[in-house]
Amino acid sequence: MKSVPVKVEHGGKWVPTTLGIGEDRIRIDAPLDCEIPYKSVVDLEEKKNQVVITAGAEGELVYRIASVEKVLSVLKKFIIIQCSAYRLNAFFMSPAVRGGVLVQDARWEKGAIAVLKTGIWFVSQETQVCIPIADVAGIELTSREIQEKNLDVVKIDHLGESEVVTSFVLCPMTTLQVLYNFLREATHDSEVSEEIDPLTGQVAMLVYSGMDSSAIENMLKLSHKDLDAIYERLLGTGLAEVLHVRKEVQLTAKGVRYISNAMKSPTN
Amino acid sequence: MGRILIVDDTMFMRTLLKNILFSGGHDIVGEAADGAEAVARYQELKPDLVTMDVVMPKVNGIEALKAIKAADPAAKVIMCTAVGQEQMVKLAVKSGARGYIVKPFQAPKVLEEVKNVLSA
Repeated sequence: MKSVPVKVEHGGKWVPTTLGIGEDRIRIDAPLDCEIPYKSVVDLEEKKNQVVITAGAEGELVYRIASVEKVLSVLKKFIIIQCSAYRLNAFFMSPAVRGGVLVQDARWEKGAIAVLKTGIWFVSQETQVCIPIADVAGIELTSREIQEKNLDVVKIDHLGESEVVTSFVLCPMTTLQVLYNFLREATHDSEVSEEIDPLTGQVAMLVYSGMDSSAIENMLKLSHKDLDAIYERLLGTGLAEVLHVRKEVQLTAKGVRYISNAMKSPTN
Repeated sequence: MGRILIVDDTMFMRTLLKNILFSGGHDIVGEAADGAEAVARYQELKPDLVTMDVVMPKVNGIEALKAIKAADPAAKVIMCTAVGQEQMVKLAVKSGARGYIVKPFQAPKVLEEVKNVLSA
Protein backbone atom coordinates (compact mmCIF):
# COMPACT_ATOMS: atom_id res chain seq x y z
CA MET A 1 0.00 0.00 0.00
CA LYS A 2 1.51 3.31 -1.07
CA SER A 3 1.04 6.22 1.33
CA VAL A 4 0.60 9.84 0.27
CA PRO A 5 -0.15 13.05 2.18
CA VAL A 6 -3.69 14.37 1.66
CA LYS A 7 -6.24 16.53 3.43
CA VAL A 8 -9.61 15.16 4.51
CA GLU A 9 -12.70 16.97 5.63
CA HIS A 10 -13.38 16.27 9.29
CA GLY A 11 -15.80 18.18 11.50
CA GLY A 12 -16.22 20.88 8.86
CA LYS A 13 -12.46 21.50 8.59
CA TRP A 14 -9.74 20.29 6.23
CA VAL A 15 -7.25 18.19 8.22
CA PRO A 16 -3.86 16.91 6.96
CA THR A 17 -3.45 13.13 7.14
CA THR A 18 -2.06 10.16 5.21
CA LEU A 19 -3.88 8.16 2.59
CA GLY A 20 -2.80 4.61 1.77
CA ILE A 21 -3.74 3.42 -1.70
CA GLY A 22 -3.84 -0.38 -1.96
CA GLU A 23 -4.88 -2.89 -4.58
CA ASP A 24 -8.39 -3.39 -3.20
CA ARG A 25 -8.88 -0.59 -0.66
CA ILE A 26 -7.71 2.73 0.65
CA ARG A 27 -6.77 3.54 4.20
CA ILE A 28 -7.17 6.98 5.75
CA ASP A 29 -5.16 7.61 8.92
CA ALA A 30 -6.31 9.65 11.95
CA PRO A 31 -8.50 11.50 12.54
CA LEU A 32 -10.74 9.36 10.28
CA ASP A 33 -8.77 6.15 10.88
CA CYS A 34 -10.72 3.99 8.46
CA GLU A 35 -10.43 1.62 5.51
CA ILE A 36 -12.61 1.89 2.43
CA PRO A 37 -12.76 -1.21 0.17
CA TYR A 38 -13.15 -0.03 -3.44
CA LYS A 39 -16.07 -2.40 -3.95
CA SER A 40 -18.01 -0.59 -1.18
CA VAL A 41 -17.83 2.71 -3.11
CA VAL A 42 -21.16 3.59 -4.74
CA ASP A 43 -20.39 7.07 -5.99
CA LEU A 44 -17.44 9.26 -6.88
CA GLU A 45 -17.58 12.98 -7.60
CA GLU A 46 -14.71 15.25 -8.52
CA LYS A 47 -14.28 18.90 -7.78
CA LYS A 48 -11.24 21.10 -8.14
CA ASN A 49 -8.37 19.36 -6.31
CA GLN A 50 -10.71 17.08 -4.40
CA VAL A 51 -12.87 13.98 -4.72
CA VAL A 52 -15.98 13.02 -2.82
CA ILE A 53 -16.25 9.28 -2.19
CA THR A 54 -19.61 7.81 -1.16
CA ALA A 55 -19.52 4.30 0.28
CA GLY A 56 -21.71 1.83 2.15
CA ALA A 57 -24.80 -0.10 1.12
CA GLU A 58 -27.02 2.95 1.68
CA GLY A 59 -24.39 5.46 0.58
CA GLU A 60 -24.19 6.57 4.20
CA LEU A 61 -20.42 7.13 4.33
CA VAL A 62 -19.10 10.26 2.61
CA TYR A 63 -15.40 11.12 2.47
CA ARG A 64 -13.95 14.32 1.03
CA ILE A 65 -10.30 14.07 0.09
CA ALA A 66 -8.13 16.87 -1.28
CA SER A 67 -4.74 16.36 -2.86
CA VAL A 68 -2.66 17.07 -5.95
CA GLU A 69 -3.97 15.93 -9.33
CA LYS A 70 -1.46 13.08 -9.66
CA VAL A 71 -2.63 11.44 -6.40
CA LEU A 72 -6.32 11.97 -7.15
CA SER A 73 -5.84 10.53 -10.62
CA VAL A 74 -4.43 7.26 -9.23
CA LEU A 75 -7.13 7.14 -6.56
CA LYS A 76 -9.94 7.72 -9.08
CA LYS A 77 -8.61 5.03 -11.39
CA PHE A 78 -8.55 2.37 -8.65
CA ILE A 79 -12.04 3.31 -7.51
CA ILE A 80 -13.62 3.43 -10.98
CA ILE A 81 -12.17 0.08 -11.99
CA GLN A 82 -13.36 -1.71 -8.84
CA CYS A 83 -16.28 0.21 -7.34
CA SER A 84 -19.89 -0.96 -7.13
CA ALA A 85 -21.22 0.34 -10.46
CA TYR A 86 -22.47 -0.71 -13.87
CA ARG A 87 -19.17 -1.02 -15.71
CA LEU A 88 -17.87 -2.42 -18.96
CA ASN A 89 -14.81 -2.32 -21.15
CA ALA A 90 -15.31 -0.12 -24.17
CA PHE A 91 -13.75 2.26 -26.60
CA PHE A 92 -14.72 5.88 -26.06
CA MET A 93 -14.18 9.24 -27.71
CA SER A 94 -14.69 12.20 -25.39
CA PRO A 95 -15.02 14.97 -26.36
CA ALA A 96 -15.80 14.26 -30.02
CA VAL A 97 -17.85 17.39 -30.79
CA ARG A 98 -17.68 20.64 -28.84
CA GLY A 99 -20.16 23.46 -29.44
CA GLY A 100 -21.12 21.97 -32.81
CA VAL A 101 -17.54 21.72 -34.07
CA LEU A 102 -15.85 18.36 -34.40
CA VAL A 103 -12.78 18.16 -32.17
CA GLN A 104 -9.83 17.83 -34.57
CA ASP A 105 -7.61 15.60 -32.43
CA ALA A 106 -10.42 13.41 -31.08
CA ARG A 107 -9.53 9.71 -31.09
CA TRP A 108 -10.88 6.42 -29.82
CA GLU A 109 -9.43 5.33 -26.51
CA LYS A 110 -9.56 1.82 -25.09
CA GLY A 111 -10.68 1.73 -21.47
CA ALA A 112 -13.63 1.28 -19.18
CA ILE A 113 -16.91 3.08 -18.71
CA ALA A 114 -18.56 3.09 -15.30
CA VAL A 115 -21.98 4.50 -14.51
CA LEU A 116 -22.20 5.70 -10.91
CA LYS A 117 -24.97 7.51 -9.04
CA THR A 118 -24.03 11.01 -10.14
CA GLY A 119 -21.70 10.53 -13.06
CA ILE A 120 -20.59 8.52 -16.06
CA TRP A 121 -16.85 7.88 -15.95
CA PHE A 122 -14.53 7.05 -18.83
CA VAL A 123 -11.13 5.77 -17.82
CA SER A 124 -8.15 4.77 -19.95
CA GLN A 125 -4.40 4.69 -19.39
CA GLU A 126 -4.18 8.38 -20.25
CA THR A 127 -7.64 9.84 -19.67
CA GLN A 128 -10.23 10.23 -16.93
CA VAL A 129 -13.43 11.91 -18.00
CA CYS A 130 -16.51 12.38 -15.81
CA ILE A 131 -19.86 13.39 -17.26
CA PRO A 132 -22.22 14.37 -14.42
CA ILE A 133 -25.60 12.66 -14.95
CA ALA A 134 -27.29 16.03 -14.33
CA ASP A 135 -25.44 17.47 -17.33
CA VAL A 136 -26.49 14.76 -19.80
CA ALA A 137 -28.59 16.34 -22.56
CA GLY A 138 -29.18 13.32 -24.73
CA ILE A 139 -28.49 9.61 -25.14
CA GLU A 140 -28.77 8.06 -28.57
CA LEU A 141 -28.00 4.68 -30.09
CA THR A 142 -26.62 5.52 -33.51
CA SER A 143 -24.01 4.43 -36.02
CA ARG A 144 -20.70 6.02 -36.89
CA GLU A 145 -18.16 5.28 -39.56
CA ILE A 146 -15.06 3.86 -37.94
CA GLN A 147 -12.21 2.55 -40.11
CA GLU A 148 -14.55 2.50 -43.11
CA LYS A 149 -17.17 0.40 -41.32
CA ASN A 150 -20.50 1.61 -40.01
CA LEU A 151 -20.52 0.56 -36.36
CA ASP A 152 -23.14 1.06 -33.66
CA VAL A 153 -22.21 3.50 -30.93
CA VAL A 154 -23.88 5.22 -27.99
CA LYS A 155 -23.81 8.99 -28.42
CA ILE A 156 -23.92 11.10 -25.25
CA ASP A 157 -24.61 14.85 -25.47
CA HIS A 158 -23.74 16.74 -22.33
CA LEU A 159 -22.98 20.19 -21.00
CA GLY A 160 -19.38 20.98 -20.17
CA GLU A 161 -17.86 24.37 -19.32
CA SER A 162 -20.92 26.15 -20.78
CA GLU A 163 -20.57 24.25 -24.05
CA VAL A 164 -22.52 21.35 -25.48
CA VAL A 165 -20.20 18.40 -25.85
CA THR A 166 -20.75 15.07 -27.62
CA SER A 167 -18.99 11.86 -26.61
CA PHE A 168 -19.20 8.38 -28.15
CA VAL A 169 -18.94 4.88 -26.68
CA LEU A 170 -18.18 1.83 -28.81
CA CYS A 171 -18.52 -1.77 -27.61
CA PRO A 172 -20.17 -5.03 -28.77
CA MET A 173 -23.83 -4.56 -29.73
CA THR A 174 -25.21 -6.69 -26.90
CA THR A 175 -23.52 -4.61 -24.21
CA LEU A 176 -24.12 -1.41 -26.14
CA GLN A 177 -27.88 -1.96 -25.95
CA VAL A 178 -27.65 -2.65 -22.21
CA LEU A 179 -25.52 0.46 -21.71
CA TYR A 180 -27.94 2.55 -23.76
CA ASN A 181 -30.93 1.33 -21.72
CA PHE A 182 -29.06 1.92 -18.48
CA LEU A 183 -28.10 5.46 -19.45
CA ARG A 184 -31.62 6.23 -20.68
CA GLU A 185 -32.98 5.11 -17.34
CA ALA A 186 -30.36 7.11 -15.41
CA THR A 187 -31.18 10.29 -17.33
CA HIS A 188 -34.93 9.92 -17.88
CA ASP A 189 -35.64 13.05 -15.81
CA SER A 190 -34.38 15.22 -18.68
CA GLU A 191 -36.83 13.81 -21.28
CA VAL A 192 -38.82 16.56 -22.99
CA SER A 193 -42.55 15.93 -22.75
CA GLU A 194 -43.99 19.46 -22.95
CA GLU A 195 -45.37 21.04 -26.11
CA ILE A 196 -43.22 24.01 -27.09
CA ASP A 197 -44.66 26.67 -29.42
CA PRO A 198 -42.48 27.66 -32.42
CA LEU A 199 -41.55 31.11 -31.11
CA THR A 200 -40.43 29.71 -27.76
CA GLY A 201 -38.46 27.06 -29.66
CA GLN A 202 -36.73 29.75 -31.69
CA VAL A 203 -35.80 31.65 -28.55
CA ALA A 204 -34.42 28.43 -27.06
CA MET A 205 -32.31 27.93 -30.18
CA LEU A 206 -30.92 31.45 -29.92
CA VAL A 207 -30.09 30.98 -26.24
CA TYR A 208 -28.35 27.73 -27.16
CA SER A 209 -26.31 29.59 -29.76
CA GLY A 210 -25.13 32.12 -27.19
CA MET A 211 -27.32 35.11 -28.02
CA ASP A 212 -28.12 37.49 -25.16
CA SER A 213 -31.55 39.00 -24.48
CA SER A 214 -30.86 42.11 -26.48
CA ALA A 215 -29.75 40.16 -29.57
CA ILE A 216 -32.79 37.88 -29.30
CA GLU A 217 -35.16 40.85 -29.04
CA ASN A 218 -33.59 42.43 -32.13
CA MET A 219 -33.50 39.23 -34.15
CA LEU A 220 -37.07 38.16 -33.47
CA LYS A 221 -38.48 41.70 -33.19
CA LEU A 222 -39.72 41.05 -29.66
CA SER A 223 -40.39 43.55 -26.90
CA HIS A 224 -38.67 43.14 -23.56
CA LYS A 225 -42.02 42.11 -22.06
CA ASP A 226 -42.65 39.51 -24.78
CA LEU A 227 -39.22 38.01 -24.29
CA ASP A 228 -39.68 37.91 -20.52
CA ALA A 229 -42.92 35.98 -21.03
CA ILE A 230 -41.15 33.47 -23.29
CA TYR A 231 -38.33 33.13 -20.75
CA GLU A 232 -40.96 32.36 -18.13
CA ARG A 233 -42.28 29.54 -20.37
CA LEU A 234 -38.77 28.12 -20.83
CA LEU A 235 -38.16 28.33 -17.09
CA GLY A 236 -41.54 26.84 -16.29
CA THR A 237 -41.00 23.82 -18.52
CA GLY A 238 -37.51 23.21 -17.18
CA LEU A 239 -35.88 23.82 -20.57
CA ALA A 240 -33.85 26.68 -19.20
CA GLU A 241 -32.64 28.05 -15.89
CA VAL A 242 -32.01 31.57 -14.58
CA LEU A 243 -28.40 32.50 -15.20
CA HIS A 244 -28.40 35.78 -13.27
CA VAL A 245 -30.75 38.52 -12.12
CA ARG A 246 -31.12 40.01 -15.58
CA LYS A 247 -32.69 36.67 -16.52
CA GLU A 248 -30.34 35.80 -19.31
CA VAL A 249 -30.96 32.07 -19.64
CA GLN A 250 -29.06 29.03 -20.77
CA LEU A 251 -30.58 25.76 -21.80
CA THR A 252 -30.65 22.81 -19.46
CA ALA A 253 -29.93 19.30 -20.58
CA LYS A 254 -33.65 18.96 -21.22
CA GLY A 255 -33.63 22.07 -23.40
CA VAL A 256 -30.60 20.87 -25.32
CA ARG A 257 -32.36 17.55 -25.94
CA TYR A 258 -35.35 19.47 -27.33
CA ILE A 259 -33.15 21.48 -29.69
CA SER A 260 -31.13 18.43 -30.73
CA ASN A 261 -34.33 16.54 -31.51
CA ALA A 262 -35.77 19.51 -33.40
CA MET A 263 -32.68 19.66 -35.61
CA LYS A 264 -33.15 16.05 -36.71
CA SER A 265 -36.16 16.97 -38.84
CA PRO A 266 -35.61 16.27 -42.54
CA THR A 267 -35.77 19.98 -43.41
CA ASN A 268 -32.52 20.72 -41.57
CA MET B 1 -12.10 39.12 -40.91
CA GLY B 2 -13.75 37.74 -44.01
CA ARG B 3 -16.45 38.35 -46.60
CA ILE B 4 -18.92 35.54 -46.08
CA LEU B 5 -21.81 34.05 -48.08
CA ILE B 6 -24.41 32.24 -45.93
CA VAL B 7 -26.36 29.38 -47.52
CA ASP B 8 -29.30 27.82 -45.68
CA ASP B 9 -32.90 27.13 -46.70
CA THR B 10 -34.34 28.51 -43.45
CA MET B 11 -34.36 32.23 -42.85
CA PHE B 12 -34.07 31.65 -39.12
CA MET B 13 -30.75 29.79 -39.46
CA ARG B 14 -29.44 32.37 -41.95
CA THR B 15 -30.30 35.19 -39.55
CA LEU B 16 -28.74 33.33 -36.64
CA LEU B 17 -25.50 32.70 -38.54
CA LYS B 18 -25.51 36.28 -39.79
CA ASN B 19 -25.73 37.56 -36.20
CA ILE B 20 -22.99 35.24 -34.99
CA LEU B 21 -20.63 36.05 -37.85
CA PHE B 22 -21.37 39.77 -37.71
CA SER B 23 -20.63 39.78 -33.97
CA GLY B 24 -17.25 38.24 -34.85
CA GLY B 25 -16.47 41.17 -37.13
CA HIS B 26 -17.14 39.43 -40.44
CA ASP B 27 -18.82 41.02 -43.42
CA ILE B 28 -21.88 39.15 -44.67
CA VAL B 29 -21.82 39.80 -48.40
CA GLY B 30 -24.83 37.68 -49.32
CA GLU B 31 -27.29 34.91 -48.57
CA ALA B 32 -28.75 32.02 -50.57
CA ALA B 33 -31.66 29.73 -49.79
CA ASP B 34 -30.73 26.72 -51.94
CA GLY B 35 -27.74 25.16 -53.68
CA ALA B 36 -28.43 26.60 -57.13
CA GLU B 37 -28.71 30.11 -55.75
CA ALA B 38 -25.52 29.50 -53.73
CA VAL B 39 -23.52 28.67 -56.88
CA ALA B 40 -24.84 31.75 -58.67
CA ARG B 41 -24.21 34.04 -55.69
CA TYR B 42 -20.70 32.64 -55.25
CA GLN B 43 -19.77 33.47 -58.85
CA GLU B 44 -21.27 36.92 -58.48
CA LEU B 45 -19.80 37.85 -55.06
CA LYS B 46 -16.54 35.84 -54.87
CA PRO B 47 -16.68 35.66 -51.04
CA ASP B 48 -13.73 34.63 -48.86
CA LEU B 49 -15.82 31.88 -47.29
CA VAL B 50 -19.18 30.12 -47.65
CA THR B 51 -21.21 28.48 -44.86
CA MET B 52 -23.24 25.79 -46.62
CA ASP B 53 -26.23 23.88 -45.25
CA VAL B 54 -26.24 20.26 -46.42
CA VAL B 55 -29.94 19.45 -46.76
CA MET B 56 -31.67 21.98 -49.03
CA PRO B 57 -34.29 21.88 -51.76
CA LYS B 58 -33.46 21.81 -55.50
CA VAL B 59 -29.65 21.47 -55.33
CA ASN B 60 -28.34 20.19 -51.98
CA GLY B 61 -25.25 21.49 -50.21
CA ILE B 62 -22.92 18.72 -51.38
CA GLU B 63 -23.82 19.28 -55.04
CA ALA B 64 -23.47 23.04 -54.62
CA LEU B 65 -20.08 22.53 -52.96
CA LYS B 66 -18.90 20.41 -55.89
CA ALA B 67 -20.08 23.03 -58.40
CA ILE B 68 -18.35 25.85 -56.49
CA LYS B 69 -15.11 23.88 -56.18
CA ALA B 70 -15.23 22.99 -59.89
CA ALA B 71 -15.42 26.68 -60.75
CA ASP B 72 -12.95 27.81 -58.05
CA PRO B 73 -10.74 25.05 -56.56
CA ALA B 74 -9.48 27.50 -53.89
CA ALA B 75 -13.00 28.19 -52.57
CA LYS B 76 -13.33 27.92 -48.79
CA VAL B 77 -16.57 26.25 -47.77
CA ILE B 78 -17.71 25.23 -44.28
CA MET B 79 -20.55 22.70 -44.24
CA CYS B 80 -23.38 22.90 -41.70
CA THR B 81 -24.78 19.47 -40.91
CA ALA B 82 -27.56 18.55 -38.53
CA VAL B 83 -27.15 16.08 -35.67
CA GLY B 84 -27.18 12.54 -37.09
CA GLN B 85 -25.78 13.60 -40.46
CA GLU B 86 -22.15 13.27 -39.45
CA GLN B 87 -21.63 10.67 -42.18
CA MET B 88 -22.22 13.52 -44.64
CA VAL B 89 -19.08 15.15 -43.29
CA LYS B 90 -16.80 12.61 -44.93
CA LEU B 91 -18.53 13.08 -48.28
CA ALA B 92 -18.27 16.85 -47.90
CA VAL B 93 -14.56 16.71 -47.04
CA LYS B 94 -13.98 14.43 -50.02
CA SER B 95 -15.77 17.02 -52.14
CA GLY B 96 -13.52 19.80 -50.93
CA ALA B 97 -15.12 21.28 -47.78
CA ARG B 98 -12.56 22.99 -45.54
CA GLY B 99 -14.54 22.67 -42.32
CA TYR B 100 -17.83 21.62 -40.83
CA ILE B 101 -20.11 22.61 -37.99
CA VAL B 102 -22.87 20.51 -36.52
CA LYS B 103 -26.29 22.03 -35.82
CA PRO B 104 -27.27 23.07 -33.25
CA PHE B 105 -24.10 25.10 -32.82
CA GLN B 106 -22.73 27.63 -30.36
CA ALA B 107 -21.44 31.03 -31.42
CA PRO B 108 -17.85 30.89 -30.07
CA LYS B 109 -17.21 27.57 -31.77
CA VAL B 110 -18.60 28.76 -35.09
CA LEU B 111 -16.36 31.83 -34.97
CA GLU B 112 -13.37 29.65 -34.07
CA GLU B 113 -13.99 27.33 -37.03
CA VAL B 114 -14.48 30.26 -39.43
CA LYS B 115 -11.25 31.84 -38.18
CA ASN B 116 -9.35 28.56 -38.65
CA VAL B 117 -10.59 28.11 -42.21
CA LEU B 118 -10.01 31.73 -43.20
CA SER B 119 -6.44 31.67 -41.88
CA ALA B 120 -5.56 28.28 -43.41
